[in-house]
Amino acid sequence: MARITLENIGFHYPGAVQDTLSGLNLEIANGEAHALLGASGAGKTTLLNLLSGLLSPTAGKLLFDGQDVSQLAGHARNVAQVFQFPVLYESLSVAENLAFPLKSRGVAASQIAERVDYICDELAISPLREHKPGALSLFEKQLVAVGKALVRADLSLVLLDEPLTAVEPRIKWRLRQTLRKVQEDLGVTMIYVTHDQTEALTFADRVSVLTAGGILQTGTPAEIYETPGHEFVGHFVGSPGMNFVPNSALNVSMGERLGFRPEWAVIDESGPVQGVVTRTRVQRTHDSIPYGLVTLATLHGELSVRGATDIEVGTNTALRVHRYVAFADQQKVGEGELV
Amino acid sequence: MSSFKPHNNRAWLGVLPVVLIVAFSAVIPLMTVVNYSVQDILDLNTRFFVGFEWYRETLNDPRFLAAFLRQVVFSLTVLMIEIPLGIAVAKSIPKTGRLTPFILILLALPLLIPWNVVATIWQIFARPDIGLLGVGVNALGISYNYTAEPLHAWLTLVAMDVWHWTSLVVLLTFAGLTSIPLPFYQAAELDGANRWQLFTLVELPRLRGVLIIAVLLRLMDSFMIYTEPFVLTGGGPGNATTFLSQHLATMAVGQFDLGPAAAFSVIYFLFILLFCWLFYTTVVKRDES
Repeated sequence: MARITLENIGFHYPGAVQDTLSGLNLEIANGEAHALLGASGAGKTTLLNLLSGLLSPTAGKLLFDGQDVSQLAGHARNVAQVFQFPVLYESLSVAENLAFPLKSRGVAASQIAERVDYICDELAISPLREHKPGALSLFEKQLVAVGKALVRADLSLVLLDEPLTAVEPRIKWRLRQTLRKVQEDLGVTMIYVTHDQTEALTFADRVSVLTAGGILQTGTPAEIYETPGHEFVGHFVGSPGMNFVPNSALNVSMGERLGFRPEWAVIDESGPVQGVVTRTRVQRTHDSIPYGLVTLATLHGELSVRGATDIEVGTNTALRVHRYVAFADQQKVGEGELV
Repeated sequence: MSSFKPHNNRAWLGVLPVVLIVAFSAVIPLMTVVNYSVQDILDLNTRFFVGFEWYRETLNDPRFLAAFLRQVVFSLTVLMIEIPLGIAVAKSIPKTGRLTPFILILLALPLLIPWNVVATIWQIFARPDIGLLGVGVNALGISYNYTAEPLHAWLTLVAMDVWHWTSLVVLLTFAGLTSIPLPFYQAAELDGANRWQLFTLVELPRLRGVLIIAVLLRLMDSFMIYTEPFVLTGGGPGNATTFLSQHLATMAVGQFDLGPAAAFSVIYFLFILLFCWLFYTTVVKRDES
């Protein structure tokens, strides 16, 4: 395993007008589960390809444990990758698939057997060992693909490229749990690329939010959610995202705009921000706890707050905010509480 | 299944057009041949039922057996050259690039030339007195004359067939190669697979479908080859390049032996069917296991 350092990484596709990535700095600790979260077009795939060795950065350096690997090919970097759909050798059995990355590196047969047994136990796929991939379900295939990525003991880094995309929703949760457990058991450094915030926030130790070629914020899932460093992060993370109002609306002098999460405000007729209820619905948190969500049309656009859904649509009411993050020029400048 | 079963056979009417078309295009002509094959036809009004006599005669005819053997050797030879060569050429075409469309068009050219024109081109090309190939080979000090030497006639025919049909295998294989998703290549590279492993473990299994089609097409077509040897060598020298079709045409059209020719046709048809069926079932069976 290795500590991964991105030093001022930039990338420019030949012939492109703009840099796809520029000035990227990131430090990922040994054994960390890190998520790269971004909408499509944010440069996630390019960054992934830079890490896997498919592309080489046109600026800056990529270091594994302090060693510059920027110009090395993928197999020389000791990187493994799990793709959006299961990528396996169809003519080989599950056990042969798992053994393949070891065999092609000339690992001794006894050691191969040991590692394959270990991975089969860890992912609970021992009963599938002699099957061909064609006989497995999509979920099982993806598990085997994960196993194939984790089988080498000397890996520097495991990349996961939206590995749950092809898996049906019912099973997503199970595969994510398995991934998380294996990551902790093996202590591998993992980078998980996704556009799905729930996946990112529930999987990773730390999350980096990527947009238009740069990292806006890196932090623990709680930091990302509660103290977004940039308006985009507040808006992008959370469903629905953060609400924004000018600071004058709440009589706060800090910053220019104030952001607050739906659960940081309540419906209160005597509150400072008045509006009309436009819709109510029941939402679920990522751990499936239901809660009510009320949306008001106000002077500052639509704002959503947590609250009882028995309020009539069309009711004139107001909301009271008790916690906020202040932004100036889209950057976070402070946070505070109101009574 | 529910116990309710509607008695309504109107859906059969929908099948009727297909039945009619297939009957006129395939079944009736075929049955005519089957009918001829069990009769001795002396003239338009005089015919006898002879049972399987013509079949027995055909299967014991040394000329038929010789033509059949030549046919098998020829088909296997061109298959063994065209399939690997086609794969090799397809692999060396860049998947993207400005040149790719031109290469593909260039490769498709032989497929667009009428068969008897192909044969005429080669007949002139290989002539030892004026043809570029014939004169060239003779100038190298190798005595070459496809009209006199059976081996030379064979080599010329095989070369012509390879020239004519390898492109088909190339185009099919290339289409198969370009449909392999990029992650399969990325994964193999990260796994440390070498080029041979990449070919045998990633590409070949994914080319299986198109290669089955390629082999079947080439097997059927080469087994029925007629025009090219007819124009190029006329089946000679001697009978050295007389394949099944030509032998059949000589019997049916040249000698008007309709009964034996019909029996020959049925046997010929069944052989092609059997070959393709055997090939397909063994390959598909292996696929399922």
